Formats: sequence, C-alpha cells, structure tokens
Amino acid sequence: MQGFALFPFDPPGDVAALRADLRAWLADHQPQGRIVGRSNCWANFNPDFSRALGAAGYIGMTLPRRYGGGERHPLERYVVIEELLAAGAPVGAHWIADRQTGPLILRYGSEEQRERYLPGIARGEVYACIGLSEPGAGSDLASVRTSARHTAEGWRINGQKIWTTGAHLSHIMLALVRTEEGSERNAGLSQLLIDLDTPGVTIRPIIDMAGNHDFNEVFFDDVLVPHGALVGERGQGWRQVTAELGLERSGPERYLSSHALLEALVDAAGSEPDPAVARLIGELTAEMWTLRQLSMSTAAKLAAGEDPMVEASVVKELGNAFEQDMPRRVQAVVDCGWDDPDDLARLLRTLLIASPSFSLRGGTREVIRGIIARGLGLR
Amino acid sequence: MSAARDMLCDTARAVFAEAAGAGMAPVEQAGFDLLLVAESEGGFGGDWGDVHAVLRLAGELAPDLPVAELILSGLGEAPEALHAAAAVSLMAGSMGQALALSIEHVNTRQQFGRPLGKFQAVQQSLAVMACEVAAVDAAAAALAARLDATGLDAEACDFEIAAAKLRANRAVGVVTAIAHQVHGAIGFTREYDLHRVTIPLMRRRSQHGNDALWAARLGRQVAALGGRGLWEALTARA
Repeated sequence: MQGFALFPFDPPGDVAALRADLRAWLADHQPQGRIVGRSNCWANFNPDFSRALGAAGYIGMTLPRRYGGGERHPLERYVVIEELLAAGAPVGAHWIADRQTGPLILRYGSEEQRERYLPGIARGEVYACIGLSEPGAGSDLASVRTSARHTAEGWRINGQKIWTTGAHLSHIMLALVRTEEGSERNAGLSQLLIDLDTPGVTIRPIIDMAGNHDFNEVFFDDVLVPHGALVGERGQGWRQVTAELGLERSGPERYLSSHALLEALVDAAGSEPDPAVARLIGELTAEMWTLRQLSMSTAAKLAAGEDPMVEASVVKELGNAFEQDMPRRVQAVVDCGWDDPDDLARLLRTLLIASPSFSLRGGTREVIRGIIARGLGLR
Repeated sequence: MSAARDMLCDTARAVFAEAAGAGMAPVEQAGFDLLLVAESEGGFGGDWGDVHAVLRLAGELAPDLPVAELILSGLGEAPEALHAAAAVSLMAGSMGQALALSIEHVNTRQQFGRPLGKFQAVQQSLAVMACEVAAVDAAAAALAARLDATGLDAEACDFEIAAAKLRANRAVGVVTAIAHQVHGAIGFTREYDLHRVTIPLMRRRSQHGNDALWAARLGRQVAALGGRGLWEALTARA
C-alpha cells in the first residue's frame, strides 16, 4: 500500500539566520528561574515574556501586516515555535491565541473582529481560551448544550464550560454554543467570541493533581454579547471547530513538551555514559528525530493548503506516547531519588505527574485512534 | 515524484511480482545492479530516493530476495551502514504490506454478525499499527533525503542511519504482533501470505544492527553533543 509520503519542508528565506536571531534573542530575554518551568512550557503563562516576544515580531507571524502581523510563511512560524519549545520558553500566555484563535478570526471573522482582536494578539497582549468541553460534552463534543439566543439586543448566553485552560488569564473565549433552539448533535452550533469581562461570566478554578491552576469552570448567566460576536456563519460552528483542531494536533508541541528532560538526561549522562543510559538516549533520540520528520511534513502539507487530518492525528498519537513514555523510561534506568534537588529529578517528578494529561488534552488517545481508523477505511 | 521515478517504480512492481514466484532471475535481467551506477558509466544514474522507492516495493512484494545486495553491488564495496539504510526501506515496504493485508482481512472477515473492522478494539489496534508504519516510512524517506543531500556519504549520515534503523527495528515487534493478532489463525498458516512479510521483518531486525547496537551508537554520539548540542545538531542537519 501507498506509504506515508514525506511532504518537503521548505520554508522561504534564510532559515539558519532565523534560528540564530531567535536564539540570540532568547539568550537575552528568556527568564532564568526554575528548571521545571522549561518542561511542558506551553502551559507556562508569562505575560511579560509574551509582550516582549510580540514586540520582537515572533507572535502573529503569519497574519497580514494591516492587522499587526508579520506576513511570514507558516513554515517560518513553525521554525520559530519549535525553537521556543526546545528552549523551554514560557509561551503559555499567548499560545492558544497565536496558534488557533488568531488564524481562525482571520479566516472566518468579520472585518470588525479582525481589527479589534488581531493587533493585540500579535503584540502578545490579548490571550484566548477555547470554550468546547462542557459537563455533558468532553470527547463527545456534539453534545454541547450551552445556548445562545438571538435577541434584538444581541446574543444571550446561558450554560457552562469546563476544563477551560487559561480562562482566568485570558481576555477572550472562542466558544462553541447552540444557537438554534431544538437542534441536535453537530447541527445548529455556532462560534461566539466572548469578552470574558462581560457581566454574567463567572470563572472558577479547578486545581489539578499537580497542585496547579490551569483549567477552570466558566459559567454564563444570561450573558449578553453583541450580534457582532458571531464568528463565521451561524450554524457552521462544527465545521469551523473541526478545521481548528487540525491546527491544534500536529504542531511540534506534541513531541517537544518534555524536551527539557531529554536535555537534562543527556547532560547528566556526561560524555562517557553508562551503557544502559546511552541506549536509552539513543532510543529516545531516534523517536524524537522521527517525530520531527512527521511533524514537519504535516506542517508543510497544512501550509500548502491541504487538510492532513489523519497525519495530524498520527503526530499527536505518537508524540503523546513518546512524551508519556520518556519520563517513565528515564525513571526506570537512571538512579535518582524522588525528592532529589537536582534538575533531572525535578523535571522527572514534574513530567511523571503532568504527563497523564498529554493524551487527554486536544482529543483523547481513543478519539485520535478512531480518526486514524476512519482514515484507514475501517469505520 | 518525478516521471522517471514513476516509470522505475512501474518496472520494479512488475519485476518483483514475477520474482516473488521465480526468484532473482527477473530482477537480475532487469538490471537493478545498474541503478546506482552513473549514466556516464552506462548505469541508470539513480539516487537514494530511487533506491528507497524500489526497495520499498521489494519489501512489499518480494521481501525474501537479496534485492538490496544486488543494487548496492553497483557501488563496488558499499559500506555496511548503507546496507542498514537499505534495510529500512525494505522494512517500510514489508510493514506497509502487513498493514494492507490486515485492513483487507478485517474489512472482509465477519464475526458476531459484522466485519471485524467494525469493532473498536480492532480499530484501535490497527490505528496503533498504522502509526508505526507511518513512522518507519517517514524515517526511511528522511534518511533517503539526507543520503542524497550528502552524495551517499554514509559517515555524514551516521546520525540518520542509526536513528532510522533503530526506529524501524522498534516498530517490528508492534507491527508483526498486531498484524498476526487481527488475522487470527489464518495468518499463522503457510498458505496465507502474511508470513511472507512478517518473517523477513523479524529477520531484518537482527540484520545490519539490532536495537542495542544502534541505540548504543546513537546514544554515545548524542552524549558527546551534550543536551543543547543535540538540538543544535538536529536543526543544522535539516
């Protein structure tokens, strides 16, 4: 059967110079602080860093200049984000706005929405969260019940979102809501862009098992937003969200979240490593190198205007498995105490506890495998 | 893919289909020993991208035959590492065939009143297998690009050869196990074609460097680079 064809990753311009400039910029601007902040770094909020990164032109890179963007090629942006992730830079504050909300507003949004939100996103000042999951709708997204009623004054929203990452630090939420009364499943859904300081919005923290406050419950109690909050076409929310998920699944964050641990392992091993540690480093490196090829190829396909839904799911599935496997295998081979104070032990502890979430966020492992199976012609 | 490579693949497909029953004679007659020989010396003047495409088909259709050895004989004394690189392409082809046979089987075979492929447990297994096959395909294609970029300099490609052969080796266990599991008893018979690809896959995991050999070699190389040096080397190599 036809194999996975590698799509050539060929960004325009001088890629080596792009990397070198960014590395020099990071040497001056990346906060030094706790090593554990370098792992899972796209969950690490740092608005000061985001603003500086935006001012340097590294956010909203692909947006048109008239909205504050850089009009750069999507693969130049890919190079920049893989460098930021490999360095463990704290990109969490602007991550979702830069990766998907900005591009989605550009693609489906009104002129008014573009002018209002995109410049702030590109400056690293406006942060977004994604309102998809609800108490009765997680993996089964078509069960969304939060409603928005069309009235003379605007849209009236009632309902609840849950597991909303970064809602408490975000300015806007792109929410999937039911706009057509009595509609079922994936029909009758629309996307609304909601300013989170609107009266009637209540955000409550959910503390995760690591003790961190990343996700939230968000309640909408008769929240009134203007008619202009509708993004794209009324009733087409499902199609728009599905397109958004393609952007979400194949990026380098699916295999580079734990890169700080691999670096720490290599540094701890020294130039004359123990044979078992050397073999582990070799196996992890082979997997990472392969994942990078898959991710770059999928990014190139996306940049060429194709919709590589199955390839994106393959990257996510293999990337999640790699990132969950790595801390477990390091723990099995390296002699290091649970409470040791050194970098390797700290990263190991942090990632062992954080990694169960990797195959839950952005589509569970089971959902992703289902998408791949459909691509194989099995469903 | 170029028109020349398309034609090469059409020829290779026909030759390997015949060779699957007749042995090496059709392959030798087709002149695959000239694939890597320069045009100025009367050869085909192919690159490793061509070798990869041909060997992937060999791995699919005639995985038992010494096609890689024949092609590499065109280089005179080819370094051992190029034999390992060739094995990755063969393994990618054999794994693709194992996946194709598995999909066909589960979509045809009925149990409990429906095709096996309608059961989620079977779908999830095959999704895992498909990911492994995609990974080996990507590794083989990326290695081919690197070999061509360096003019088949095996030493300049030591990193990629080690990474690709190791990744292919590690996929063998998962791919052969799932292919046989979803086939049930029929896949374990001599009559059915699955063993024609799974046994060569098991053999190739040991040939031209098993997991331990390449993992140790790659691991020592990376340790010498240091943590940050790994990322710098990876991005400098493309």
